[in-house]
Amino acid sequence: MADWRGDRQARDARLDAGRAHLAGRGKVVAAQAAVDLLEAVLRPGDRVCLEGDNQKQADCLARALSACDPGRVHDLHMVQSGIVLPEHLDVFETGIARRLDYSYSGPQGARIARMLYGGQIQLGAVHTYLELFARYFMDLTPNVALIAGVCADRDGNLYTGPNTEDTPTVVEATHFKNGVVIAQVNEIVDRVPRVDIPGDRIDFVVAADKPFYVEPLFTRDPGAMTETQILIAMMAIKGIYAEYGIRRLNHGIGFGTAAIELLLPTYGERLGLKGKIATHWALNPHPTLIPAIESGWVEQIHCFGSEVGMDRYIRARPDIFFTGSDGSLRSNRAFCQTAGLYACDMFIGATLQIDLMGHSSTVTQSRVAGFGGAPNMGSDPHGRRHPSDPWMKAGREGQVVGDPALMRGRKLVVQLVETFGDKLVPTFVERLDALELARKIGLELAPVMIYADDVTHIVTEEGIANLLLCRDADEREQAIRGVAGYTEVGRGRDRAKVEALRARGVIRRPEDLGIEPLDADRSLLAARSIKDLVHWSGGLYEPPARFRNW
Amino acid sequence: MAIDRDALSWYEASARQRVDALLDTGSFAEFLGPEERRMSPHLPLFDLPRAFDDGVVVGRGRLDGRPVLVAAQEGRFMGGAFGEVHGAKLVGLLRAAREIKPAAVLILFDTGGVRLQEANAGETAIAETMRAIAEVRADGVPVIGLIGGRAGAYGGGGLIAGTCSRLAVSEGGRISVSGPEVIETNKGAEEFDSRDRALVWRTMGGKHRRLTGGADAFCADSVSAFREAARALIGRAPAFDLATLEAEHARLRNRLEEFGDCRDATEVWARLGVNDPDAVPAMDARAFDETVAGVGGANHDAR
Repeated sequence: MADWRGDRQARDARLDAGRAHLAGRGKVVAAQAAVDLLEAVLRPGDRVCLEGDNQKQADCLARALSACDPGRVHDLHMVQSGIVLPEHLDVFETGIARRLDYSYSGPQGARIARMLYGGQIQLGAVHTYLELFARYFMDLTPNVALIAGVCADRDGNLYTGPNTEDTPTVVEATHFKNGVVIAQVNEIVDRVPRVDIPGDRIDFVVAADKPFYVEPLFTRDPGAMTETQILIAMMAIKGIYAEYGIRRLNHGIGFGTAAIELLLPTYGERLGLKGKIATHWALNPHPTLIPAIESGWVEQIHCFGSEVGMDRYIRARPDIFFTGSDGSLRSNRAFCQTAGLYACDMFIGATLQIDLMGHSSTVTQSRVAGFGGAPNMGSDPHGRRHPSDPWMKAGREGQVVGDPALMRGRKLVVQLVETFGDKLVPTFVERLDALELARKIGLELAPVMIYADDVTHIVTEEGIANLLLCRDADEREQAIRGVAGYTEVGRGRDRAKVEALRARGVIRRPEDLGIEPLDADRSLLAARSIKDLVHWSGGLYEPPARFRNW
Repeated sequence: MAIDRDALSWYEASARQRVDALLDTGSFAEFLGPEERRMSPHLPLFDLPRAFDDGVVVGRGRLDGRPVLVAAQEGRFMGGAFGEVHGAKLVGLLRAAREIKPAAVLILFDTGGVRLQEANAGETAIAETMRAIAEVRADGVPVIGLIGGRAGAYGGGGLIAGTCSRLAVSEGGRISVSGPEVIETNKGAEEFDSRDRALVWRTMGGKHRRLTGGADAFCADSVSAFREAARALIGRAPAFDLATLEAEHARLRNRLEEFGDCRDATEVWARLGVNDPDAVPAMDARAFDETVAGVGGANHDAR
C-alpha cells in the first residue's frame, strides 16, 4: 500500500532532532547552537536554500553551515539566488555541498569560475531570479531553507524588515512541501513590528551573533558621473523615453541609468516631460532617484529589495513606496520581477559585451557574474495581453509581415553602454567571451544575459541604434557597428550603409536629436554629490560611510 | 558671458574656470598658455597623454582691483600632480613675484603630489617651490593657498600648503601628506580604513583642518566664497619672522601634547570644546563658522 505521508514523517523526525537544541521557551535556538541544530536537521544529499539574496545575507547560518562536520552533512544540493559570501563557496571545498543551482554571483564571480573549472562544483544552471523561484515550486523544492529576518517573536512570527526580498518565496516553497525553515534574526522580541512571515511557517529561530549583512548595491555616487554618461543619458531621454512616452519602467544599476535619474528634474523638465515619462517604477530605492521623487516626477515605486541608508526616507514617503502598517518598506523580489516582466514597457540597463547581432553578456572568461534579474526585465514577454502606447508603437516598428490586426506590441529592451568600458576594454565584440567559457566548462547553454531578439535599442555616446527598424541581419550588424565608435567593431563599419541607415532614422546621432554634445555638462545633474542627495531628501537619506566625503 | 560666482561650484570647476571666476572679471592674463605647448618631456616615454599646459595655469590678474599672481592646478589631469614643467611654471611664478611685488600670490591647489613618472623632477619642484615661497614671504608678499578641489592637497602639495601665509579650505578639500590608501597599505586597515570615506574626511578634510588651526578660513563650495576668503586672508597674513616661526613650533608641540592620544577626530573636536562633535560633518558653512568661533586655537598668528 502506498505511503502518502513519508515526506511529512521525515520532516517530523528532523524537527524532533532539532528540538534538542532549543534554548528554553518557544522556537529560539542560541547562535552557539546553530551548528548542532543544522547537523541535527540536515541529511546528506538534501536540497538546501541558504538565503543569499541580491542584498540580504543569512550570514550567521552560512557560517554555521560551513562549520558543520562534513562526515555528517555532505553532498548537499544548494539552490539559492545569490552566491555572495565566501562561505557560500567554502561548503563546496569541504564536500558539505556538491551541486549548485543559482542566479547571481557578483562579488564571488572570479572564485566561482575557478571552482567550476576545477570541478569542485557540479553546476545545474545559472538562472534568472524568477526562473529559479519557479523551479523552487517545480523540481528544485528545498528540503531545508535557511533564511534571514530583522526580528522574530518566540513563536517564529518574522519581521523581515525593508529587505524582504526573496524570503516569502523561499518559505512558501519549503514549508508547504514538507520542508524545514530555519530563520536567523538580529533580535528576539515580544512583538514584531509587522508579520512578514507567519510563525507557523518557521520551525526554528536562531538568535544571530550579529546583524545580517546587506550589500549597498544600488548607490551610485553622482560625483563620479562623467560627461559621456550624461550625453548618453540625454540621448536616451530625448530619443527613447520621450519618443515612446515611457511611463512604466525598470532601470539597471549602472552609472548611465543613474545619470538619467539625475537628469529628469533638470533636462527632462526643460523638455516638458514631467508627468509624461518615468512615473511608475519597478526599482530598488535608488538614492539617485530622490531628486526626481522630490520634484514630483514619480507616482509609485515597487521594490525588489531595499537600499542601505534609504529606510528613513522611504518611511517618510508612503505615497510613493509600498510600506507596511508599521511604516517600513515591504519589498518582494518575486512580485517586483513579475511587475518588471509584464507591467513595464521598458527595461534599460548596461552590459559588458555586445556582439554583432546584439546578444549581450556580463560573463567574461575569468568571471561568472550570473544574471540576477536582467534577463527577466530584458525580455519581451509573449504572455502579455494588455496594450499601452509605447508597447504598441514598438510593435508597429518591429512588424515586417502579417496582418496588422493581429499585431502584438513589443517591450522596449534598451542597452545603454559606452563604446569602451572599464580600463578601455571594448564593449562591442565579434564573439562573446561567454561562448568560450561555456565551451571550457562544458555548459550546454551559453550564459547569454539578453538575447539579440529581445534587444530593441542600443545607445552609446555615438548615437542610438533602433534595431526594431532593421529589416535583415546585415542591416542589424551595420546599425550596431554604426554606434560602436572607435572599437574594432565600430571601425569595421560600411560607411555607405551606415549613412543609409541614418537617413532612415535607424541610427540617430546627437545632432539628429537636436543635442549639442558640448551641453553634456555635470552642471545638468540635479545632484552632483552624495551630499546633494542628502539635502534633496531633507536629511532623511543616511548614506553609508564609504559613500561620504564629509 | 558673465560667470555667476555664487553658482559655480569650486569642487566641480576646472582650473581655468576657477581662475576666471575668482579674479576680477576679464583681468586674468596667462603666462605660458596652452598655445605655447610647453608639455612634459617625460610622459611620452610611458605612452601617456600630455596636456598643453602640463596641468597648471599660471598668470597675473586683479582681485578687487589689486594686482595678484595666481597659479591653479588642474586636478583632472593626472590628479594635478607635479611634473617637471608643471613645477617649473609654479616656481617661475613665485620668483617673478619677488620682482613684480603683487598684493599676493594665490595658489589654487588641486593635487595628489608628485607625478610618479617624473618623480625626481617633481620632488625637486616641491623643494624649489617651498624655498621660493619662503623668499616671497620674506619680501613681504603674502602667499595664500585655496584648497577645495577633488584631489585636495596631498603629498608635496600638502607640504607646500604648510609653507603658505594663509590657507582657505572648503568641506570637500583635503590637506595631508600621505593619502588614505598609502596609510592603509603601510599600517593596515585596522589603523586606517581608506574605504571609510567619512573617516577620511574627518581626519584630513577641510572642517578638521579648520578646527585645529591648520587652515585659516572655511568656505562654502562656491567660487564667491573662496574669493571672499582670499580677500580677507591677504589682509590677515602674518609676518614672516623668527617670532612667527617660534609660535608655529610651539603651537604644533602643544597640539601633539593635547591631542596625541586621541583615536578619532571627533575626540579632538570634543577636547577643543565642540558641544556635539558628531554633528560637525553635517553642518553647513554658517553653522560650522559659529562652531569655529567657539573654539580656541583655530585662529592664530603662527605659521
